[in-house]
Formats: sequence, C-alpha cells, structure tokens
Amino acid sequence: MTVSAIEFSRLGPPKLRLHAMRCTGCGELHPWWERYHCYSCGGRELVEQELAGPGELTNYTVVYYPPRDFLGQEPYVVGHITMDEGVLMPAPVVDVPPEDVKVGTRVKATLRRMKLGHEGDVYYGQKFVVDDGAAGGDS
Amino acid sequence: MRVGVLGIGKTPHKIQHQKSLRDLIVEAGTKAIDDAGVDSRDIQALYLGNAASPGFNYENSTGLMGAHHLGIVPSPAVRVEAACGTGAWALHLGCVAILSGLYDTVMVLGAEKMNDLATVEGTSVIAQAADSKEEYFSGLTFPSGVALTARKYMQVYGLTEEDLAHTSVKNHYYGARNPYAHLRFECTVEEVMRSAKVADPLKLYEVCPMTDASSALVLCREDILRDQPDKPQVYITATQMGTGTWYAAGDTLDDAYNLLAKPAERAYQMADLSPADMDVAEIYNSFAIQEPLGIEALGFAEQGEGWKGASDGATWMDGPTAVNLSGGLLCKGHPLGATGATQAVDVVEQLRGTAPADMQRPSAEAGISACRGGPGSVAAIHIYQRLEG
Repeated sequence: MTVSAIEFSRLGPPKLRLHAMRCTGCGELHPWWERYHCYSCGGRELVEQELAGPGELTNYTVVYYPPRDFLGQEPYVVGHITMDEGVLMPAPVVDVPPEDVKVGTRVKATLRRMKLGHEGDVYYGQKFVVDDGAAGGDS
Repeated sequence: MRVGVLGIGKTPHKIQHQKSLRDLIVEAGTKAIDDAGVDSRDIQALYLGNAASPGFNYENSTGLMGAHHLGIVPSPAVRVEAACGTGAWALHLGCVAILSGLYDTVMVLGAEKMNDLATVEGTSVIAQAADSKEEYFSGLTFPSGVALTARKYMQVYGLTEEDLAHTSVKNHYYGARNPYAHLRFECTVEEVMRSAKVADPLKLYEVCPMTDASSALVLCREDILRDQPDKPQVYITATQMGTGTWYAAGDTLDDAYNLLAKPAERAYQMADLSPADMDVAEIYNSFAIQEPLGIEALGFAEQGEGWKGASDGATWMDGPTAVNLSGGLLCKGHPLGATGATQAVDVVEQLRGTAPADMQRPSAEAGISACRGGPGSVAAIHIYQRLEG
C-alpha cells in the first residue's frame, strides 16, 4: 500500500538492508517484521542480524492480479525463500520466466525497485534472482 | 446455555451498483426484525460486522450509521472488525451478550459494499487485513498468500490441481441453485482447470468474487424463543473463537489446521456434540483449498484427506455431513463483513427447513459454521441445533 512520506521514513530504510531478527533469549531467527515478541521462547528482545544473501526457494506462487502499486509487473513470482541462515523470507523472484521457476532453486537476494506508489513515489526492497554461483548479490 | 435465533434476513449476494452500504444494512436488518416479529426499538444492542468501509466506501462509524437507519437508537451499537472473520465475530459478541444475561434481545448484522471500487483498488483494501506494511510489501495478495498454502498442501499430501477442482464443481452445483448466490452456474473439472490463473495454482473458479451483501440475525434469551413455540426452534449452542498466525510466511499446514481445529474442539464440547452429529456445515472457502482445510479441522476427514469428499460424494447433499449447500463463498462471494453472518443465516435456514428445495438437506437437526480469515489469523466456530419442545 502507499504510505505517507512520514511513515515511509520509518518503513523504507529497514527494507534496504537484508536482515532477519534474532531473539537475544533463545537465538531463534525470525523474519524482519518480528521486532516485539519471540514465538519460540516468549522473549521480548530481538535484534537485527544481517543475512548473507543466498537461499533456496521452498514455495512460490505467480500473481496475475496485483495490488495497485504492483500494477504492470504482473505476472510476477512471489516466493518463500529459506535463507541459508534458516529463516524464511517472502519476496519476489525476478529475471526468470514464471514457468521456469521451481521449488528447490538456489536464489540470492538483490536490492531492486519494489513498486511504485500512486503519487509516483518509488519503493526499494529485497528481490531474489536465480543464484548461478557468480560472486556478488547485486546485478 | 443456548441462544435463541429469533429472526434472520439476508440480501442477495451480488454486485449491486444501485445500492449503498446503508441500503444493504437496512434491507437485511429489516428482514431479520420482521422475521423475529419484534420492533426495532426492542433491539437492546447492535453488533454490526463491517470489515473495511473506510477503505471501500470512505465512510466510518458503520455501527452507528446502521443503528440510526434501522431505528435502533438509543440502544448501544458498535462496528466489529476482524478481517474475514468480521461477521462471525459480531455473531460471537451477540451470543456472549445474551449469554451474559445483560441483554434479552440483540441484533447481529454483517455487511460489506465492495464494488464501489475497481478490482485493483479493492484488492489493495483487502490486503490491509494482513500486514500490508511488511509482508505484503513483497507483492503478496490474499489470493497469492493462500496459493502458497495450496502449493504446500499439494507438496505434502499429493493433492493434484484436478483433485482440488472437484471442490469448485461441488460448490457451483449448489450455488447454481441458490437464488441469493453471486455466481449461479454449474461447472466441470475441465472448466475449472481452463479458468484464468489468479495466483498459481489457484484459478478463477477457485477464488470467490467481490460481492455486495448484508445478512442479519436477531438473537434472544433461550426462554424468549421457547415461549413462542410457533416460531422455528433453532438455537446457537456453541460459539468459540481463536487466532492464528498473521503471516503467510509462518503459516504451516499444522497452523492452518489448528486455526479451526482448536476452537472446533471446544465448540463440540460446549454443545456436547461430535462431528458425526452435524447434518450440514458452512465452511469458509474464499479460496477452494480452504474448504478441505476446514473439513479436516471440523473432524469430517483426516488431515490431508479433506478434499476427497467433493469427488466421492461424502460432502455432497447425501453424505454424512453436507458441506456448503449454499454454494460456499466460491459462489456466494465473500462480502467480508457479511460472510460470517451469512453462513449463520444459511445454516439456520437448513435447520428451519426453509432453504430452497434443491439445496435443502432433509431433516437437518444440527449444523456448524466455520469462518477463517486474515488469511490464517482469525477463526470462528458456531454450532446450531433445532430443539423442539
């Protein structure tokens, strides 16, 4: 959804960093939005942990009817990527035709333009591309 | 403890460009009041389920608006919101209100007016019921979030896309016979398979339409209905709610099962009944895969086998428990706030014996409704019984 400039100043920057949240109590890794409560141990302190980038596509769907701010990208793939650190990330998988996407494919994170707000504002975030073994996450 | 169902009412479920949200609320509410044989001033509280009028209609205070136009003022009224479980939550609160002893007669109403917006805008409003700021930042939508669950189910239990298509065939068989349904046509497995892709592996005929509708019930203390033996003696004998994971990413198949299974277990205990006692069930299926998930959670099939009933007949009219004789959300549509209330009205019609002939289960005495939403975060179970004398 589109957000105000003030709200974007809170929501936008963290999405530029490939990270998960680690519970300081039990060490469990959670997706980036889990900042308040650890469902593994009930702990209340979670801290950012940077992720390396590679992972494996463990589930995916192809979106044919997008929300407004993804219009023009359809059909696009949204996958569940199990990062090598063990945490699961939901993210678009790009630069590959939807029909070639398969569960089990090795992928890696890359910072891309995610979507356009309705007033032309641009949102960046983590997308994933097929990991061909070449060095570097960005392309 | 039981809650009497004194009156019911519902609008057609379809695209209704000529009618506003308040038109729909008044239409369903008035029908329920008239069916109950009460005056609007006898309603002591209104629980109005509406999921997203600020998004769909740019208006708010929907509970107060409904109270005004139904003539319920000065009795208290409130808008209830819990994603796709909104109408069922209003029903729960209405039951709790009666069971508490504070009120004698209350109205539960669900309403949603979704088609004032284009589909793409409506999809964005619906997405706000999940974490649109974080998880859905990745381009997820409600259909695609549930599609991930469908693919997971297929991977684990070996369900094929053709197997799942039978669920839509069953729903459309009955939906075609429901004059209140949005999509009134039968379809074949082949037609389901050929229908447009929405969110792979889910196809158009496996996804509910966006619908304008309202449904309402007048509830009362058990003795009030008992003292009117000429009225249909249908009671709500269990109401149980729950929550589950708010994120598709964390939603395992066990989570998707437990979401409804836990409150269902408590509901069967509350009513002192078992799954085998249920003649009819209305199970939330805004997406086809959610019907087998619900069938399993309500105890009508083992985990991983809930889809079989649509092809072997177990969940059709003559099976042990007939599932979604209304056509389900796949045919009625999913007017978010109305849905839980519509499920209740549809089960009550079955127990009263007043459903249209082609979709009436003969001699139905007990039924259950299961609503889920968010898509994995809210659960509602209600059990209904016809109890003469």
